[in-house]
Formats: sequence, structure tokens, C-alpha cells
Amino acid sequence: MSASLNFELPQHESVVTVQTTNNRGFTPEELAQDCVGKIISVSDTALPGIRDQARAFERHMEKVVAYYMRQAIQSDRTTVYNALMDAGHPELAELIRRL
Amino acid sequence: MAFNGNFMCTSFKKELLSATHNFTTSGGDAFQIALYTNSATFNAGTTAAVFGGSNNEVGTSGTYTSGGPSGSTSTNTLAAASSMPSSSGTTAFTDFEDKTFTSATITARGALIYNSSAGAGSNTANCVLVLDFGSDKASTSGDFKIVMPSPDASNALIRIA
Repeated sequence: MSASLNFELPQHESVVTVQTTNNRGFTPEELAQDCVGKIISVSDTALPGIRDQARAFERHMEKVVAYYMRQAIQSDRTTVYNALMDAGHPELAELIRRL
Repeated sequence: MAFNGNFMCTSFKKELLSATHNFTTSGGDAFQIALYTNSATFNAGTTAAVFGGSNNEVGTSGTYTSGGPSGSTSTNTLAAASSMPSSSGTTAFTDFEDKTFTSATITARGALIYNSSAGAGSNTANCVLVLDFGSDKASTSGDFKIVMPSPDASNALIRIA
């Protein structure tokens, strides 16, 4: 039996992943996928019935999370719209509203 | 010169044994991330992060700030994952939330995570991890997101089993 502590990173396997975008931000769907990945995980070797049910739940959760992310974006735009209107920038506010 | 894999820095392991690093979510040290091109060479022997273009750090762009630690309010500071450090079974672990640099034009091959307040110091750069992205990753006027592993006993970034 080894008495040492296991305290290394896998040298040649991905430890982190990097996602990038060009000329845009991430969409709610892309972010929802990452979000659900942090909440739910199921092993490839899990019992097929459990694994399939978990994956179906994952897909459902992605849709739910993405929906509420879109709601949050719209709600924030309302807040920004009103802040810009209050600051005397109606044209800029209108641009934000139309996004 | 190039990145050659992921490493837990040896100096970090030693510093853990002298209580230099505090990963507690509230009141712990500030950990930051620096991004580098593939011209950088880091390995387990890397003891301190180095900064600036002459050290192959990527330039300031969007919310990414080149040049090293500038206090816990830096945009390069990593947020600890919820309720870290934690344990499950016989494994103790800690992890960070994903980090996104927005409106950024960046090409990076890897990163260093370092402690910018090690041992209650300020603007320190004690190296923790060397991360190899596997290939150049690029964003153009967009988001550059580093997705950390799930904060659990099997996947978390730092685990003691």
C-alpha cells in the first residue's frame, strides 16, 4: 500500500477547456450547456437506464436554463434602457431596446 | 520553447506545507490567472509567474489585464467555486469558477494560476499550476472563456487523495 499522497495534474490530458467567440459573446444556449455540465454529471459506465434518464434530464435542464438566461438578458436591457433614458440618452436607449 | 503539459508546481506543494496558501472562499488569498503564448516555457519547476510581452504573456485586451498582480480587485482574479475547499470520502479538493475575459482579442496556448496574496503578502506571484490548453486558443473581439473542471472529488483542479 502506498503511503504517499496523490497530488499531481494529468500532464498530457485536458485539465481545463477553453471556449472562444469571435465578434460576439456566448449565447444563452452555449452558457446553459456549461451551467448544466457543472450541475449534473453522469458516468459513461452508469447503468444504461440511469444514464439515459440523466442525459434526458440534462437536455431538458439546458433548455430551462437557457430560457431564463434569455429572460435575464431582456430584463437587464429594460433596466439599461431606463437608466439611459433617465440619463438623457433616448436614442441610445432605443438602440438597446431594439437589440 | 513551448508548453509541454499541465503541472502542479513543486514550489506550491512545498508552500502548502508551510501554510503559504489559503484557498478559503471568504477571507482566503487572491488567486489570479495569466495567459501566455506558446513561446512560454513553464513546468513543475516554475516558482513564480512572470509577466509582460517579454515573458510571452498575452497583451491587455478587453477585460484581460497584462502585467501581473494588482490586488484582489484585478480582472484576472479567479473566483473560488462555491463552498471550497471541500472534501468527499477521503479526497479533499478545491476549485475555481470558470473565468471569462470579455470583448477580448487574445491568442493563448496556456496559463499560470498564481497566488497574488500568498502568505498574506500583496502583489505576490507564487505559482500554483501550469495549464496547457493543448493548442492555441483565440478570440477576436469576443469572449475568451476558461472552463474549470467540476468541483468534485474526481475532477476538481486541486485534489489531495
